[in-house]
Amino acid sequence: MKKKLRLSLIVLLIVFSLLISSTVLAQEEDRFGGTLNTAFQMSVAHLDTDNSTDSMISAMMNHVYEGLFEFDENLNLTPHLAASYEIKENGLVYDVKLREDVRMHNGELMDADDVVASFRRWLEINNGGQLVAPHFDEIEKLDQYNIRFKFEEVYAPFLNILASPVSNQKFVVRAEEVIDEFGTDVIDRHVGTGPYKYEEWVPDQKLVLTRFEDYTPSPREGSFFAGERIPYLNKIVFNFIPDAQVRVSGVQTGQFHFAEEVPRDQYQIFKMDQNIKNVIIYPDRMSMLIFNNAEAPFDNKYARQAIAYALDFEELGYAMIGDPQFWRLESALHEKGNPWHVSDAGSGIYGVYDPEKAKQLLERAGYDGQPLVILSGQDNQMERQGAIAIQDQLEKIGIDVELQLFDRPTVVERRAKKEGWHMHLSPFIKVVPDPQIHQGWTGTNKWITNWDSKDSRQMDQIFAEMLREVDYEQRYKIVERMQAELWDSVPYFNILDYSRLHIRRTELKNFQAGWQPFFWNTYLE
Amino acid sequence: MLFLKKYKKYEHSYITTSIIILIILISLSLFAPLLTDYNPVRNNARNRLQPPSKEHLLGTDQYGRDIFTRILYGLRTSIEVGISVVILTVIFGGVVGIVAGYYPQIDKIIMRVLDAMMAFPGIIIAISLAAIWGAGKLNIILALSFAYFPKMARIIRSAVISIKDLDYVDSARAAGANDLRIIFKYILKNSASPIMVQATFNFALAILDEAALSFLGVGIMPPAPSLGAMVTDARTYMVVAPWMILAPGMMIILSVLSLNLLGDGMRDLLDPHLKNTLKK
Repeated sequence: MKKKLRLSLIVLLIVFSLLISSTVLAQEEDRFGGTLNTAFQMSVAHLDTDNSTDSMISAMMNHVYEGLFEFDENLNLTPHLAASYEIKENGLVYDVKLREDVRMHNGELMDADDVVASFRRWLEINNGGQLVAPHFDEIEKLDQYNIRFKFEEVYAPFLNILASPVSNQKFVVRAEEVIDEFGTDVIDRHVGTGPYKYEEWVPDQKLVLTRFEDYTPSPREGSFFAGERIPYLNKIVFNFIPDAQVRVSGVQTGQFHFAEEVPRDQYQIFKMDQNIKNVIIYPDRMSMLIFNNAEAPFDNKYARQAIAYALDFEELGYAMIGDPQFWRLESALHEKGNPWHVSDAGSGIYGVYDPEKAKQLLERAGYDGQPLVILSGQDNQMERQGAIAIQDQLEKIGIDVELQLFDRPTVVERRAKKEGWHMHLSPFIKVVPDPQIHQGWTGTNKWITNWDSKDSRQMDQIFAEMLREVDYEQRYKIVERMQAELWDSVPYFNILDYSRLHIRRTELKNFQAGWQPFFWNTYLE
Repeated sequence: MLFLKKYKKYEHSYITTSIIILIILISLSLFAPLLTDYNPVRNNARNRLQPPSKEHLLGTDQYGRDIFTRILYGLRTSIEVGISVVILTVIFGGVVGIVAGYYPQIDKIIMRVLDAMMAFPGIIIAISLAAIWGAGKLNIILALSFAYFPKMARIIRSAVISIKDLDYVDSARAAGANDLRIIFKYILKNSASPIMVQATFNFALAILDEAALSFLGVGIMPPAPSLGAMVTDARTYMVVAPWMILAPGMMIILSVLSLNLLGDGMRDLLDPHLKNTLKK
């Protein structure tokens, strides 16, 4: 009797589990199919990531091309087209083993020749490659699936730059035949390894990608850009819609499933709409106040410190961004969660609102009461409203301010000059994989800060040390010193971090809010 | 004065309404500091996008500034721009129009140049000039005056031409009056009515175009209040904070409408051809 019961129980269990698994499988099947319509804010000039610094290109072409290494959700470097890697000779040699079964869009298997050809092109013309090139020796093909990167001197950020999420710096693998055909010219025939392949591009209108049926996903678990990518959708259409309100109404009426960068102040309205979900990208932009370190009064560090004390950062947050869920105060260059985050950066000066101290410091710096010129863009909400709010706060404590708001090209032209401006507000990308490629600092007197003093040379020294240090712990200590130095000299400083808002239809499932939108692993219901 | 006499006689309703509105608007802008405790440019961002309430009659904008206050000061800017543009166009247009009308020798050259200028819409000329000279109140005034004066010059020229051969001008000349005396004493005085009508329309147009230029970002520089710039700012917040766009929009409508009504009414009163229709 007992035996019979047990047997029937087992049979029941088997039947039950079969039933469940079949429904799960069926669900999995159901996910495939459909055309995804998205609305992006800017059109692009071409689709060759190596030939441009326009981050829109990589946002789209990430579906077509993949990197040797990619970042996962927590900004951990993960081999992607690479199977494994090894660092030898104290960081002078990187041996990389490739995955052997990866098929490209032309039907051939990806091998070392494709990687070598792509890498040489990247080194020569890509913005990221050009950072690496001065330290690099050569790339060697060991056999069909093994490559060796050799350096002349230790260059610690190498792998992080290979997978960099900063505008188009990432190294992606293209078919050798395409590189032979185009050389360093702009590529308009796209053969990669990604889950989607290029189908059609109508300039200023749309880019259409279709599923690559023979796609070979990475064996690792999917997480943001790294690991398994499943192309559920048949087709992805990227529409270029510059007007934010048009993108919004497109999603509201169901024409688009996804819209990039919509007005943050309409958040509540989207929230009330049952068909729309808000997608808040975690603060991936910084609002950076940059001083002209060459011109009085900001050729003196006390004057620069004074401005940090003179500003009420929280009030600035409300004025330049608005709803507090879209911004947070953050003194460090790298956000919380980033391995390079320094939690006590700027303590004692960041977020300390002390107008009296500001006045004392200005006096100490010998400020003569001349009007201070704020140079800022008028098209971007953060730049425009931030500059107006900073002017207001400085005027409240009796500092004379002249506001100069221009369109982007004029701002870029004017800030490149050594005189004519004192302060400049600019958005910086927060998600940087390596402290070395921090956007604001490229060396004494380079870029726009015109910072040239004893302090700036010390900063040069810190960066030179960071470049040679491969050990994380040691390197982190250098980053701490860099942060301390930055908050002492204050050639520029971060006011706050802020988020961007995208919206999507509820039909679009499994969407993850990455620093660049991506649509593998998502499906339509 | 001719105008006042006629007004007493006919009591034109357009003019009555528009003058009442204009008096209200002008006193609002003149007495702005007395009517509000707020400063039009000082931020209070923690109080942003507040709906209309007792403290903020028309709500606050995205910097937490009081919209009622900004409208009063914005109106001030509009009126300043309008008056300055009218004065400048009358002076420029007057000089050019009189020279062209009174001296037929150079009439053709001047008029062809003005024709060429009038081939472009005024707002396009103003936008290009503002873009070249840069934004700012003074530049806007100059750009708009430059855009409007050809039309004024044309009107004054035709008035001069129709008057200068009349008998009383001939008799003045026969009595030995010189050109300047004839122009100021006999011609200009008698061509005042079309100039006044056109000046009123220019006033309205200047307010509207200042708003348009500020809306496009080449007008009054922020944070100084301007009705047009307030409408631009409000666009993003139209759905969440409709009071931001309604208030400056209404102000633009009121001021432009009342000036246009005034212009229409004045034309009715002063145009001899319309006398009969008025009497009915």
